[in-house]
Amino acid sequence: MRKYFLIAKNTWDETLTYRVSFIMWRVRNTIQLLTIYFLWLVVLSGNKTILGYDQPAMLTYILGTSLLDAIVLSSRSYAVGEEINSGNLMNFLLRPINYFKYWLAKDVGDKAMNVVFSLIEISLIFIILKPPLFFQTNLFYIFLFIFSAFLAFFIYFFINFLLGLVGFWSPEIWAPRFIFITILGFFSGSLFPLDILPKAIFSILKFLPFTYLLYFPLKIYLGQLAFSEVLQGLIISSLWVFGMYYLVKIVWKKGLKTYAAYGK
Amino acid sequence: MSVISVFHLSKYYQIHQKEPGITGSIKSLFSRKYETVKAVNDISFKINEGELVGFIGPNGAGKTTTLKCLSGLLYPTKGEIRVLGFNPYNRKPEFLKSISLVMGQKNQLWWDLPSIDTFLLNKEIYAVPDGEYNKVLDELSRLLDVKKILKTPVKKLSLGQRMKMELIASLIHSPKVLFLDEPTIGLDVVMQKNLREFIKEYNMRFKATIVLTSHYMGDVEELCRRVIIINFGKIVFDGQLSSLVTKYAPYKKIKVLFKEYVDPKKVDILGKIDKFEYPLLILKVPNEKINSVSSNILKNFNVEDITIEDPEVEDVIAQVYTEKRK
Amino acid sequence: MTTMVSQNAFASRFGAILFIIGKLIRFSFFMFFLLVITSRTQAIVGYTIWEVILFYITFNLVDSLAQFFLREVYRFRSYVIRGDFDYFLTKPMPVLFRLLFGGSDALDIPILLLSIIFIFISFTHLSSITFLSILIYFALLINGLIIALSFHIFVLSIGILTSEVDNTLWLYRDLTQMGRFPVDIYQNPLRSIITFVIPVGIMVTFPAKAAIGLLSPNLILISIFVSITLLYLNLKFWNFSLKRYSSASS
Repeated sequence: MRKYFLIAKNTWDETLTYRVSFIMWRVRNTIQLLTIYFLWLVVLSGNKTILGYDQPAMLTYILGTSLLDAIVLSSRSYAVGEEINSGNLMNFLLRPINYFKYWLAKDVGDKAMNVVFSLIEISLIFIILKPPLFFQTNLFYIFLFIFSAFLAFFIYFFINFLLGLVGFWSPEIWAPRFIFITILGFFSGSLFPLDILPKAIFSILKFLPFTYLLYFPLKIYLGQLAFSEVLQGLIISSLWVFGMYYLVKIVWKKGLKTYAAYGK
Repeated sequence: MSVISVFHLSKYYQIHQKEPGITGSIKSLFSRKYETVKAVNDISFKINEGELVGFIGPNGAGKTTTLKCLSGLLYPTKGEIRVLGFNPYNRKPEFLKSISLVMGQKNQLWWDLPSIDTFLLNKEIYAVPDGEYNKVLDELSRLLDVKKILKTPVKKLSLGQRMKMELIASLIHSPKVLFLDEPTIGLDVVMQKNLREFIKEYNMRFKATIVLTSHYMGDVEELCRRVIIINFGKIVFDGQLSSLVTKYAPYKKIKVLFKEYVDPKKVDILGKIDKFEYPLLILKVPNEKINSVSSNILKNFNVEDITIEDPEVEDVIAQVYTEKRK
Repeated sequence: MTTMVSQNAFASRFGAILFIIGKLIRFSFFMFFLLVITSRTQAIVGYTIWEVILFYITFNLVDSLAQFFLREVYRFRSYVIRGDFDYFLTKPMPVLFRLLFGGSDALDIPILLLSIIFIFISFTHLSSITFLSILIYFALLINGLIIALSFHIFVLSIGILTSEVDNTLWLYRDLTQMGRFPVDIYQNPLRSIITFVIPVGIMVTFPAKAAIGLLSPNLILISIFVSITLLYLNLKFWNFSLKRYSSASS
């Protein structure tokens, strides 16, 4: 266990050596957050609502996605593909260490740093802009929110890892990721809650993993889902967690086989 | 007791053949032609505990492929390998804890952090007890003279210093078997010498079995009594370095420095001339003729200096390669 | 040799196609997003759907044009590190010109064309459009490009002083993306800052406002004044930093 703690700690220290870049990255995140924040602020000004979202609910949603983004979407495992391509994967295969857990630990280190910064940013926004926010007081919803965020964490980890495994077969690891990030930027729900989309589109999205990364947990937090909808969502996202887990395992095994057959 | 045994190991690669041109690329989408490359072709050998063996051959001969099979990275096409009683490909934790592979061009150190952080992590990964870790780290960092730079971020270290740190990271769990792939590549002469001394020392002190590939003859000459020469995926020589020389190079070199000008025609009859640039003459002479030729020279010429030397290992090995190709 | 070159292009063209597709997806998703919110709320700060689209497209056009023409700036850091920059300095061509316009990126062309088409479509949907306002639109667009150019000169100057380019460049990209919406959505003092101090507003919001007929002649004059001043100051800054340049390549 201690080895994975050390990996997380090393990742944290590693980020600290790039202080300037990291802070700039957070500043950029904040600028993007503010853009969307102000958009929704004016769109829903003066007691206007949009499909059941009033201003406090929407602003809570937008700031909430920013925090969840740090928990769920910040990740280092995009480097898996590069490691496979460069042949550096060898160093891990030859040590008694689990490669998945290695990246999971690295991600935890990375996320910890991002969460700290995200909390500071949101507090600053809260103090300076004094937005009307919605605070959930029902512990049950808060618990379900945390649980669904936990599932989201794993869904994203496995998808990201899977995209890295493309490296076993192709040196073109960057292009598929670019497409993925573009789609993710829209359908994860960081710009807007997904249920303001036309019904037909949203009912398809319900079955895709994107929906469960940011949108679904926040929707639970806001208390806007009936219990049956929560249950349905938790089942679908659990299915995604296990589905992706087995898919990654299979692809990893196949990849290792080609790796062991050809070397790099 | 042999630590490593290899029986009829073969490793083939399927290489995707593509016809030239754009039409070729399109065609290859539908029907792929494969060509089999025999990187390693039916080799067998045994290595005993504590041996330091040099694995040599030209680029692409199959050295690294063999090393990768031995450490469990590649799955053999045919044949069987045993290392410390394990089948390497299963990569059992107990197996991984007793070996190490160091590749000159790959790194496991955390680039932005001090080396000591990687060592501490490896200590946990290999479950090395505190006392043991402190002892080994102390000894290794003293041998390699890196005590002062353990806390310097890796990115600020020189190439040689980094290689030393890689070695420590790979040795912190005191592996019984050590595979070194081109450990001195890209290092300056002084650093190469330091590393060689260290490897020798490590081999003696820890009784570790070491297999080393290199294409610097210096590494092999200084370190290994036994060499395995591999070319075109086959073993062409396996034995003592000294017997390699007598087998493939039953001649010595006579170097003569003349005092005064000599007629090239007179030199011609002495034997096979390797090089003649007045005042220096180098002759390649069969072992049994050394005495007669050298006394002949001393008798008939005005000589400033004369030396008799063994042929260079590099030349001998080049000869092995060309001979086997015929 | 020629076949080799086209072979390479063929292999990487796959990546290039995915890249263009990605950009088109992002573009159409965002348009769709604008459509959804304006259809749900009738208008954003009083702008109709086609007006909102014009704001976004104008941002997109300036952004893509800047990337298309000024792609070399993104490579500046590697030029300094590899020592190519020292080589540029010895050439008779003005080094700033070389660094700004030395290379362009064909991958931006599809988005550029699409933006131009959409601009004319949104013009036809504006009720008060006149020939004069279209003329002013394009004049202010060029004005906006001068501001973008000044930003890039600024980035290069900082790059010479600190050999840091990526972070400032990304900061520029993120600040300008605030102009995807009309700057009217931001509260003061933020609105004034991003209109006049970091003139994203002048750069991308003002041209569209002029086309809609919402920009007073005073503001048009101020815009031109701001862009020329910025260009002048940044050229000064460039000369200043060039004098402090210490060749960092090894």
